Amino acid sequence: MGGPAVTLVDWAIVILRVILPALLLPAFVIPLVWVERRVAAFIQDRPGPNRVGPFGLLQSPADIIKLFTKEDVVPASSDKVLFLLAPSLAVFAALSTFAVVPYGPTVRIAGHVVPLVGADLSIGVLYVFAITSLSVYAIVLAGWSSNDKFSLFGGIRSSAQIISYELAMTTAAAGVVMAAGSFRLTDIVAKQQGAFHLLPFVPRWNVFPQVIGFIVFFVSAFAETNRLPFDLPEAEAELVAGYHTEYSAMRFGSYFLAEYINVIVASAMTTTLYFGGWSLPGLHLGGWLGGLAGLLVFAAKTAFFVMVFIWVRWTLPRFRYDQLMRLGWKTLLPLALANLLWVAGLAMWGTSR
Amino acid sequence: MERLIFDAAALMAIVFAGLMVAGRDPVKSVLALVVSFFALAVTYVLLLAPFIAALQIIVYAGAILVLFLFVIMLLNVGPERPDGMRRPIQTFLGSVAVVVFAGLLLGMFKASGGHLPAQPEAVAMDTLPDPAALARLLFSDYLLHFEAVSVLLLAALVGAFVLARRENAP
Repeated sequence: MGGPAVTLVDWAIVILRVILPALLLPAFVIPLVWVERRVAAFIQDRPGPNRVGPFGLLQSPADIIKLFTKEDVVPASSDKVLFLLAPSLAVFAALSTFAVVPYGPTVRIAGHVVPLVGADLSIGVLYVFAITSLSVYAIVLAGWSSNDKFSLFGGIRSSAQIISYELAMTTAAAGVVMAAGSFRLTDIVAKQQGAFHLLPFVPRWNVFPQVIGFIVFFVSAFAETNRLPFDLPEAEAELVAGYHTEYSAMRFGSYFLAEYINVIVASAMTTTLYFGGWSLPGLHLGGWLGGLAGLLVFAAKTAFFVMVFIWVRWTLPRFRYDQLMRLGWKTLLPLALANLLWVAGLAMWGTSR
Repeated sequence: MERLIFDAAALMAIVFAGLMVAGRDPVKSVLALVVSFFALAVTYVLLLAPFIAALQIIVYAGAILVLFLFVIMLLNVGPERPDGMRRPIQTFLGSVAVVVFAGLLLGMFKASGGHLPAQPEAVAMDTLPDPAALARLLFSDYLLHFEAVSVLLLAALVGAFVLARRENAP
């Protein structure tokens, strides 16, 4: 690495930068489950969990204690190693995606330059897709190693679904990469600062020129996170509980946790790629105050998309398998390709001026 | 430190590639190959080619092997039986591959003057050739190779289409 001598403070900053999001992400899941259940109840016109603690806030911690203390059943006919490995793989994939997402601007604290991002990789976008493409193994392995037909069905559905939607998702995100001219997520955020030249009141977010790309990306994100209306791998009406039928206690909880972390990460990625990340037009604060403001803006935008995830879950019914495939291959992929052409045209127009 | 991780990853790639060939259960063979590819990606990162590493995981581990797994699970292929499934042609092709590979290894050793290549100079991650440079090469010097590969893929695509098409379809 070279450069100036690395002091203890630098190490502390690096550790905070990297560890803190990794610990906070699962911690956010606890209130998120409560929010989801309360919003679900609101949409369905019923009270929802409101008994444990004020407003039912302690319901999630109580559930966690339950999950940790329940008996962990391992089916006798399962493939033990893979059965035990799969849930941790799910959490690993969900957590490590966030490592490259910038959650705030670069701040200066007491002479130290601190970029608020876990690791600013030059291949940031590709890293995210690489890890999410591995997350399918957690589901497929769970389905196969359980040695149970419902689990296997879930695993097979999941592999087909994720391959189909990954294509559309990556093609849509390629438009953002082309607009920024970089795979680095901090570059992508930096490119979205300020406003358009022709329309000074519109922030220069990627969503405006690439609204089609955004829609494709966001719809695919639902499929990648196995959320309704794309939760065919666990379709409880047909497959008992799909790929995690045989899981109990915290191993089941791991899939639960991974799903919610994935929802947060997908929202954070949507914010970063299409909605300017931590930046807000007109908000220019220096120093640590700017860092804090960036963090809050990023959290607010991400929270908004998390709410959309919950809202959609209780609005749309589940797709049928053939509908799923048709939407992915015949609608989303052509739209993503059209978006790519459009962005390429915009880029050429931009350079020719 | 980097050398240590590189060696460990390279060893892991080889060991799991061996497990993939030796394994009797198709699902476990695919999984061994996934681990092998992942370890290979780690070596790419340490060889200062993070872009190739990411592609390795996205394309091979993330897409192609998932498809393998999908097909194996869909067809419900059981463990391979140990009794004589080997045809003479397999033995022949296998030995040809071994000879060619050994020749390649030998040629590499000769070209490097009989000793292993030295470690590359430590380069800061920011001065690496970026994907744009790779793309420029791909679409200029190596355009012919690139197009040849795409024709090959197109042929595979057409072949798959012909196989999957129903005869009585309009």
